[in-house]
Amino acid sequence: MADVRFEDVDKVYDNGVQAVFDLSLNIQDGEFLVLVGPSGCGKTTALRMVAGLEEISDGTISIGARVVNDLTPKERDIAMVFQNYALYPHLSVGDNIAFGLRLRKTPKKTVEERVQWAARLLGLTQYLDRRPKELSGGQRQRVAMGRAIVRQPQVFLMDEPLSNLDAKLRVQMRAEIGRIQRELGTTTIYVTHDQTEAMTMGDHVAVMRKGELQQMDTPQKLYSDPKNLFVASFIGSPSMNLVEAQIVRQNGGLVARIGDQELPVPGELSSARPALTGYVGRKVALGVRPEQLEDASLVRDGANGNRLRGRVVLTEALGSELLAHVELSGKPVVTDDVLEGAVELEDAMVDDLAQKADEERTTFIGRFVAASDVRPDHVIDMVVDTEKLQFFDLETGNAIRAGE
Amino acid sequence: MTAIDQTAAAIPAARPATKTGPRRPKLRDTWWRHVVAWIAIVVALFPVAYIASAAFTGNPSLAGSSLIPRHLTLDNFKKLFSPGNSTTDITSNASNYPHWILNTLIVATSTAFFTVMLGALAAYAFSRFRFRGRRMGMLGLLLVQMFPQMLAVVAIYLIVVHTGTVFHVLALNTLTGLIIVYLGGVMSVNVWFMKGFFDTIPAELDESARVDGASPAQVFWGVVLPLAAPVLAVIGLFSFVGVLNEFIIASVLLQSDKKLTLPVGMRGFIDQQFSQHWGPFAAGVLIAAVPVVILFMFLQRFIVEGLTAGSVKG
Repeated sequence: MADVRFEDVDKVYDNGVQAVFDLSLNIQDGEFLVLVGPSGCGKTTALRMVAGLEEISDGTISIGARVVNDLTPKERDIAMVFQNYALYPHLSVGDNIAFGLRLRKTPKKTVEERVQWAARLLGLTQYLDRRPKELSGGQRQRVAMGRAIVRQPQVFLMDEPLSNLDAKLRVQMRAEIGRIQRELGTTTIYVTHDQTEAMTMGDHVAVMRKGELQQMDTPQKLYSDPKNLFVASFIGSPSMNLVEAQIVRQNGGLVARIGDQELPVPGELSSARPALTGYVGRKVALGVRPEQLEDASLVRDGANGNRLRGRVVLTEALGSELLAHVELSGKPVVTDDVLEGAVELEDAMVDDLAQKADEERTTFIGRFVAASDVRPDHVIDMVVDTEKLQFFDLETGNAIRAGE
Repeated sequence: MTAIDQTAAAIPAARPATKTGPRRPKLRDTWWRHVVAWIAIVVALFPVAYIASAAFTGNPSLAGSSLIPRHLTLDNFKKLFSPGNSTTDITSNASNYPHWILNTLIVATSTAFFTVMLGALAAYAFSRFRFRGRRMGMLGLLLVQMFPQMLAVVAIYLIVVHTGTVFHVLALNTLTGLIIVYLGGVMSVNVWFMKGFFDTIPAELDESARVDGASPAQVFWGVVLPLAAPVLAVIGLFSFVGVLNEFIIASVLLQSDKKLTLPVGMRGFIDQQFSQHWGPFAAGVLIAAVPVVILFMFLQRFIVEGLTAGSVKG
């Protein structure tokens, strides 16, 4: 057991490409940290630097009290689970799990006990004699886990271990990895590009982009209080609705003007974000989470002011809720931050978004209760939970918070 | 070993029993395949049958021989292994046949073994490490490969003569000298071939082993080599057979009769102007074929795997 510290870590590859910039992270003993970001953000590089598979160009990484920069992987006392599991095809499951122990010249009896222990923990006891290729994807994943836990290392490193599994199995293994990690209490660094995985598994989540740490926080804080547009659009599915809005002062309070509609900014919100007053008369990016929108026809006591009107273009009934895509006037926020954050978007959708930006039309996704009977082409009112509105500077992409 | 195979193997019971296997093809549709197969077999076996016939008849020339021998005799084999030379009507070379066999086996086995080992080491480095001169090294190997070895015969001869004066083990007319020359000769193509195979072994396996605590040597011997077994078998076999057939270099470097390898020695039977000894020659060839056939039978499984696995990533 040990904590892991990154201090101003840089990684520059031989070809001059810098993959990680000044990364500083502090991972507590026993913590489950998820590194998340779109592909190419340097998260895997960061993990491999901890493993000792990539050299550290600058800065230091320490595990426990030791600076490990110049230690071999073997000396770092870590275990890693790879995306493709990297099981040794010529060895049986049992031998795969025992591989690391045998290399360390562990007494035979201990090896046997530990392999049995790991196999029991993972439900692999009956497969110990099989070859990896005779196993299903989920079972192979377990073997990879078994190989990691059997050595009882100080730190687990996991590089997208679930991305090769189908959706259902992924959810199941997600829970299982979480369970095992809690049971063993081993410090874990987990890399994924899947923000759902990040949110559900991590004690803390570090969002990275282009080699730079954007924000490290608890999943809830990341969701409710993103530091910038990138984090805002990356975390959450469906993504946060973002639209350009003009801040104007009206009747002593602030109002966000979206296209030809207006949303009052609650007093508490503007006093919690004093910097917002500095934006009066200017345009900002306004963020609304889908669950902050509700079909107005189903809300009895909704205040009249907090409404947005738009035309429904698409509905997705999910059984428990209904996702309504509502088009309203207003310019969507299409900065690089947003496009990169919204990893689910395809090229065609990006083009579509750019066109809409020209036409000053934007599509909000609302998470309505299932009872809602909105249909495409209906013009509807949505009640907005304005207490949780988010504001971002359009230029810098940073959240507008306290005065700075 | 595609992903489909693996999943299919992993969930055998998941297949519904109602699905019937592929229909057994009717002979009416596939008779032509059998014809082709039989023709192929005849073509392949014809020379073997001929040489076998020649080996088991007493007739020393090929002119009067027929495919089916009239009277079988083991005379030719006896001649090969008879120690004396006065009572036989073939050249005195015959008495050295056992030496040639032994020499050939020594040279071929050690060449095959060291080709595989050295080649694997080089190929592993080229496949896994990024170092200055890697590209040039690979290109250099390819370039060297473009010239036929025959071009180098004179140079090789001179080099061996000169090194022989310093290192006696590598002198002319030694098997070790010949082995060293052979090792250099085919190394480049083998390194390329093996590198191609190593490239298909995921680097994560190496990394995983390193994280597990393996030293570079342990990664190589414990993880990479076992997985490369098919290609190692292929390379080993090819170089074994190659050495078995090699004539020119062996004839240049080996001089005394007892040191010859089979091809050089056997040549003595048939290159004399008036006394060609096809009978013993055929018998000798037949015996020489035995180890190759045995090797092929043992390594068959690997060969098919190795020849295809290197070319297709998967």
